[in-house]
Amino acid sequence: MANHHIPYALLHGMNVPTSFINQEGSAFDFGELEEAIVLQGAKANLLTGRTAATLEMFPSWPMRYQQTPGSSKSGGESTDSGSALNTISSKTENQFEPDSPISKKASSSYHQAFDQQNLQQQQQQQEMASDPSRTGTSLNQSAPIVKPLQEKKRASTSEKQLDAKTLRRLAQNREAAKKSRLRKKAYVQQLESSRIKLTQLEQELQRARSQGLLLGSSGGGVGNISSGAVICDMEYARWLEDDERHMSELRTGLHSNLSDTDLRLMVNTYLSHYDEIFRLKGMAAKFDVFHLLTGMWTSPAERCFLWMGGFRPSELIKILISQLDPLTEQQLMGICSLQHSSQQAEEALSQGLEQLQQSLIDTVAGGPAIDGMQQMAIALSKLANLEGFVRQADNLRQQTLHQLPRILTVRQAARCFLVIGEYYGRLRALSSLWASRPRGRLMSDEQPCQTTTELQMVQPSQSHFSHF
Amino acid sequence: MYCEGDSWGCYLPMSLRSMGSDPMERVVKLASESAVVIFSVSSCCMCHAAKRLFCGMGVNPTVYELDQDPRGKEMEMALTTLLGNSQTVPIVFIGGKLIGAMDRVMASHINGSLVPLLKEAGALWL
Repeated sequence: MANHHIPYALLHGMNVPTSFINQEGSAFDFGELEEAIVLQGAKANLLTGRTAATLEMFPSWPMRYQQTPGSSKSGGESTDSGSALNTISSKTENQFEPDSPISKKASSSYHQAFDQQNLQQQQQQQEMASDPSRTGTSLNQSAPIVKPLQEKKRASTSEKQLDAKTLRRLAQNREAAKKSRLRKKAYVQQLESSRIKLTQLEQELQRARSQGLLLGSSGGGVGNISSGAVICDMEYARWLEDDERHMSELRTGLHSNLSDTDLRLMVNTYLSHYDEIFRLKGMAAKFDVFHLLTGMWTSPAERCFLWMGGFRPSELIKILISQLDPLTEQQLMGICSLQHSSQQAEEALSQGLEQLQQSLIDTVAGGPAIDGMQQMAIALSKLANLEGFVRQADNLRQQTLHQLPRILTVRQAARCFLVIGEYYGRLRALSSLWASRPRGRLMSDEQPCQTTTELQMVQPSQSHFSHF
Repeated sequence: MYCEGDSWGCYLPMSLRSMGSDPMERVVKLASESAVVIFSVSSCCMCHAAKRLFCGMGVNPTVYELDQDPRGKEMEMALTTLLGNSQTVPIVFIGGKLIGAMDRVMASHINGSLVPLLKEAGALWL
């Protein structure tokens, strides 16, 4: 279950540019990810791919294309591939004895190719002749293979009398051209299979998402997720796993009657854990504020209660009050005062956001007299203010959480965090249950048992979805 | 406009105020003349939120719209220097003391320090 929401790259341990927490300025390019996938496969399968390509120069041999996820690109190979070719070509050279049946057939095909490609390869010839030091290229590797055949060719009397050097050069060119064609073909095939794979992944993703098993994405298919959103969701999933760990530690700590000092340590650790998510959201707001504001990073049930990109602090405090009996009068006052302040702050931010929205509406509605480009520019600058509001809202959430241990005992604070964690865990579970509920069937009285067992199954372990 | 009473506490025509040539001096002077002072920009929605916050608490803040003051730009720069790390409006003073930008105001409201400050400055009764 843990793998469902982790993107392909992570699953295969690829070297993807990781969290933008570490790379503040740079943007994550989804194109880079695709390239990494291609190259990774290319590196892994270079040997096998190249072997096939080298042997396929001689058409009488069966064309053995392996369906590899990657193969070499037609441009510059690395020295790794160069050395690999060295070993391969030396092996194949031994196979081509002068009286091998291959050489005769090969020579006839050479002639077919010769006339067609003569002109094209004049230039290539020059390059080849003048640069013998290019050890890394595949073209030079083919030379030792070609030589025995060249000698064979000269011996046959039915051929034209051409200069040996020229013959060799021309043959080398043909080899090179053939190799290029074959490489290109291999590359195209690899692209095709990657495309198919991509479509399959998309379908899987779509299926999984419809079952509520995945973190949200922006509307539409996979291609519509911004890279910022992808990273945000990835980091968030990781945070959720950490959260589970912290919660079970807290639970154990509470039940095993730890000393207050130890418990306080745990509570502080948990607070830092929360600080982490707000830091993550701060970064995400820079890259894709809409992803946060629309709640696409959360589960559907949580999205329902979304306020400015996350939970509403006063609502959370209400929940806590109901769960925290018994409270001393002082504590009760403290908590109610916290709720009250939070409500005022929320109200102020909401009104500020409303004014921003109204201002944006006015700009976008515009008028005939307004220049389209200018209108867009103004709208863009107004949109930039959205990030500020999400950040203030997150700031409010963070401050509220930090205030809790100040007005409560350490045990109560620990209880608070457990209550919060469990609450959101249940909301996430609710989301996935809802998504996977049987449709088109009437929920009769016999049905509830089924639901109950499902709930029991879900309860102990938490799933991977959104929280703050 | 915003609060129950008249509009914003008072919009004082700044040209009538004394002309400290140093913008920082002006800022400090203006800040100390009222219990609650907000340096704002009229088009800024976060400033609107700050104003709403104080009004919602029953406080009448004095608002200076820096974009409507001929020397507003300098004052804005002076304020940024005062706060460090590119903080922007709204910037709040209570009882002549600098509170900070929006996030500090929010934080102090949540941790319970804002209300006592307001009471101390005479902006809030009970």
